[in-house]
Amino acid sequence: MNTSITTIDNSVKSPVQSRKGIGGKIVLISFIVAFALAPQVIGHYYITLLIPFFAYAITLLGFNLLFGYGGLLSFGHALFVAVGAYAAATLALNTGMVSFELMLCAAVGAALIIATPIAILASRYTGIFFGMLTLAFGMLFYTFLNKFYDITGGDGGLMLPRPTLLGVNFESANNFEFLAGPFYYYCLVLVLLLGWIMWRVVHSPYGLHLMASRDNAVKATYLGVKVREVRAIAFIVSALYGAIGGVILGVNTGLADPELAYWVNSGYLVFMTVLGGYHEFIGPVIGALVFILLQDELSTVTQHWRFFLGVVLAVLVIALPGGISGGFRSAIHRVRTKGAR
Amino acid sequence: MSRSIISTKRRQILKTLGAGGALSATGLLSIPAYAKNKPLRIGILAPRTGVAATIGECGIRAVEWGVARLNAQGGIGGRKVELVIQEETSPKETIDRYRKLILQDQVDTIHGVMSSGVSLALAPLAEQSKTVTMLWDGTTQDGVKEMVPYPKYLFKAAGNEVDAVMASLQAVKLYGGQIKNIAGVNVDYTYGRTTWTTFLAILKKFGIEPNIVSEQWVKIGTMDLTSNIAVLKAAKPDLIFSSMFFADLPIFMQQAHNAGLTENAKFVLPVGGVQQTALKKQFTPEGLILGHSTFYFDDKEGSQLQKEFVKWYVDKYKEHPHFEAERAYFCLAMYKAGVEKALSAKPNAWPSSSEVAQAIPGNKVESLGGIGYMRPDHIPNQTFYQGLSTHKNDYDFVTLGSVNKMSAEIIQKPAELEYWDWLDKADFKVEVGRPKGSFVQKKG
Amino acid sequence: MSSILNILLAGVFHAATLFLVTAGLQLIFGVQRILNLACGSIYALGAYVGITLTTWALANGLPPYLFPLVLLVAGLVSGLIGIPLERLIRSVYRRPEAFQLLLTFSLILIFQDVIWFFWGAEPQQLSNLTMTYGTISVMGVTMPTYNIMLIAVAVLFAIGLNYYLNATRSGKILRATAENHETGAAMAIDVKRVYVWVFTLGTTLGTLGGALVIPTTAATLQMGVELVVEAFAVIVLGGLGSMKGAIVGALIVGVIRAIALFVYPEVEVLAIYAIVLAVLIWKPSGLYGKVEA
Repeated sequence: MNTSITTIDNSVKSPVQSRKGIGGKIVLISFIVAFALAPQVIGHYYITLLIPFFAYAITLLGFNLLFGYGGLLSFGHALFVAVGAYAAATLALNTGMVSFELMLCAAVGAALIIATPIAILASRYTGIFFGMLTLAFGMLFYTFLNKFYDITGGDGGLMLPRPTLLGVNFESANNFEFLAGPFYYYCLVLVLLLGWIMWRVVHSPYGLHLMASRDNAVKATYLGVKVREVRAIAFIVSALYGAIGGVILGVNTGLADPELAYWVNSGYLVFMTVLGGYHEFIGPVIGALVFILLQDELSTVTQHWRFFLGVVLAVLVIALPGGISGGFRSAIHRVRTKGAR
Repeated sequence: MSRSIISTKRRQILKTLGAGGALSATGLLSIPAYAKNKPLRIGILAPRTGVAATIGECGIRAVEWGVARLNAQGGIGGRKVELVIQEETSPKETIDRYRKLILQDQVDTIHGVMSSGVSLALAPLAEQSKTVTMLWDGTTQDGVKEMVPYPKYLFKAAGNEVDAVMASLQAVKLYGGQIKNIAGVNVDYTYGRTTWTTFLAILKKFGIEPNIVSEQWVKIGTMDLTSNIAVLKAAKPDLIFSSMFFADLPIFMQQAHNAGLTENAKFVLPVGGVQQTALKKQFTPEGLILGHSTFYFDDKEGSQLQKEFVKWYVDKYKEHPHFEAERAYFCLAMYKAGVEKALSAKPNAWPSSSEVAQAIPGNKVESLGGIGYMRPDHIPNQTFYQGLSTHKNDYDFVTLGSVNKMSAEIIQKPAELEYWDWLDKADFKVEVGRPKGSFVQKKG
Repeated sequence: MSSILNILLAGVFHAATLFLVTAGLQLIFGVQRILNLACGSIYALGAYVGITLTTWALANGLPPYLFPLVLLVAGLVSGLIGIPLERLIRSVYRRPEAFQLLLTFSLILIFQDVIWFFWGAEPQQLSNLTMTYGTISVMGVTMPTYNIMLIAVAVLFAIGLNYYLNATRSGKILRATAENHETGAAMAIDVKRVYVWVFTLGTTLGTLGGALVIPTTAATLQMGVELVVEAFAVIVLGGLGSMKGAIVGALIVGVIRAIALFVYPEVEVLAIYAIVLAVLIWKPSGLYGKVEA
């Protein structure tokens, strides 16, 4: 009997113990300030790189609920990113409405409808089966997007026009000005807001139930935790987050296309999460940032950037499973214990 | 030679600029010194991995050749040209790279792009960023998918469907009245669907209503076509239409030959010429309608420029170039012509993107596949090549026995009309062929 | 009638190629509980090495009808990559499955660029070597002889593996280790060596498959990534870790695809997914897999 399916490496601390004392608050505030001031300081290009970062940050906050806190590895999460983008594009195409808020609603609604049956089905399983099932669904959606070109635009995808933010139309601004300006701040606020919500979720009784079902499903059931329900909810919430991320990505590109759902992109999502450290709440967000910058720098230097990314992932998995944030935490821990002596 | 196209006045300017700008020192014909020393940067976005990799690579090689040649002759407007090459992958990544090329690498113009998805996403961005963007491919004439309809900075490629139009017309001309049972084996994406529908529409236009015995949609990237061939065999078509042009095409021909299909059926391959070197004589019959789009490397009547290019390409890469090379070179030549025209109008300052964009349409430019020009609606007019395959050559693959050339002026829709509408009403001046004897006899 | 047979035979051929991809995957999972996402990349490696070796051999005077032997050698030689790979993956044996999956995912990325680096982005083919043996005509069905040979090879593999796992001492040790590696170790089985052997064997099955099938198709950079999807369909249908499952799963996928192409080509791919999902819902462990949620 393989007992490693639902437990994570016990040598690294699990997220429930992460303290957000004064140190944490300082970090958070400096994070906010840094990002708020960034457009004044950093050039347009890197700011436009940060838009996908915001998108992935949101997506991964949701993903990690399922993975880090729930112990379920989904290899088809890109499906919901695609759902978000396509929902927004379909809305704009069919109704002509380009309100960003409406797009978000459409995305969340679509994700809810699609995720619920999958969640009910997938919550029966964990481990490899869960991974395989999600991969299958992801690719099914990918195939659907390519096939039904009358609805989905086929391989060319659907155009996503520039949205209005809170009803304000930014038509006069060009693409860079829009993305690096109002849209940037809107997404920053969105990230903070959704981050706060997720923080509340994982620190709620629900969060405890989820982690309990991750650490020992049998024991949790005996304690009265509705394991399957808890997992299904995690799946749905992560899907909603993913869809919101998808809308942002779609606006960034100006297009919703099937590649968004391809399974390798699901793999990259997992990569980012592990890179940043899935044991920490903020880990995946760090992972998203580092991944994006890393990929950008690598592709400037070499056309074989996939190779180097693969090596980074391999090293990460073998030597640094806690990711970047895990590395930080051990470093801080070592400093603290050294000081205590 | 490019010299014949440029007027005497321009030639003189070019000469002086190329000669190191001696005149500029006297201040008579000066370009700002910084502009002369700062190279002109052209960003390139083309696939380098993925199914379209070899096709993209061919374009990259051609533009590298073109730039080296240009620089040897003084560059564009006296400035040396530098290429910044980035990979075209998914729309999201390619759009990010497009922005990077503009914001970080500060390129003056961007050329490339082959996928229709990327083109769709790129169009509004090109217009807003006011960057002259010249597409190599990926343009569809189907109105529903129309990108920005009246672009200022974006220059599209020849419509995807043109090859299919030409091939369909050829089929009508050659086999017309005798077409009874047809099969379509096309890749399952927009291009595959539009070309097949074009073929059917043209047949219908000429009153030919064949029986479709098999309509297959091959998943992009599939290389195992045994089942497809088996189904085709069972269907027994007289004519097989396929717009495949990735590596799946030679495999398809090979397996079709193994299954005996090449003896009994006619093949119409509107863009098959892309895979010319892989279409070996062993399994590729003579008499196929084979399309080479805007460039046929073995055109005996080809220009000096073409022959020079082909010789260089074959020597260096041991392969033969295809139409993507021509598209890449065409964009380069168009851009150069536009810049130089704008420069000659206002010689004291380097032209802005807007001025270059306005100067591009209308110039007749010599490209690898002949003379072409950009229409006012930013769609090019070029010459298209097709013919029937033959074994009578010194290669181990098929070439064209007789080459038909058609100008896009005839087989590409004009700006005002909607594609399917135009297709229905256009007069292609083609007569429905009524071949004598048995339809399935092989042609020499 | 003969056309139906022809189509079915084509389906069986496709099934044979799928079996060759997934046999190694199933073996490795069966014993080590590792799902190798890079199975497609390994298959691709075998294909590329096969092409290079064969082209070289032919250029150096090898008579064409001997090419399968070269492919065999290529497959065996490139299978040796399993040894260093196992060493690498060994570091995550005791880790949660997520990490094992991620490590094999990283291998996909690495392999793709390595192949790009050495072989370029151009799809590679062995021009029409399949016709070296001509075609066979049985009951009105014509097929290249090589395709039939491939089906035979796949069958041989299946029988051979079955015999090995059930009738030989070495195979029994493998199965014992699969059941319970701790007990196996307690019975003086060198589990470490078993793992190296199994992983290498599984990898070699993949490279052999890639090498042998390549004359009928083309090797591309995306091969590895795309094959994973179909391979997954096979193992989901057949059940993880089961060799019988690989055979049955491959047959189902191959034949359904062929039939779909004949009857309603549009749904070709969707039909497979529909079946996969149906199986996942009704019997998630697959037809022959052991129940393990």
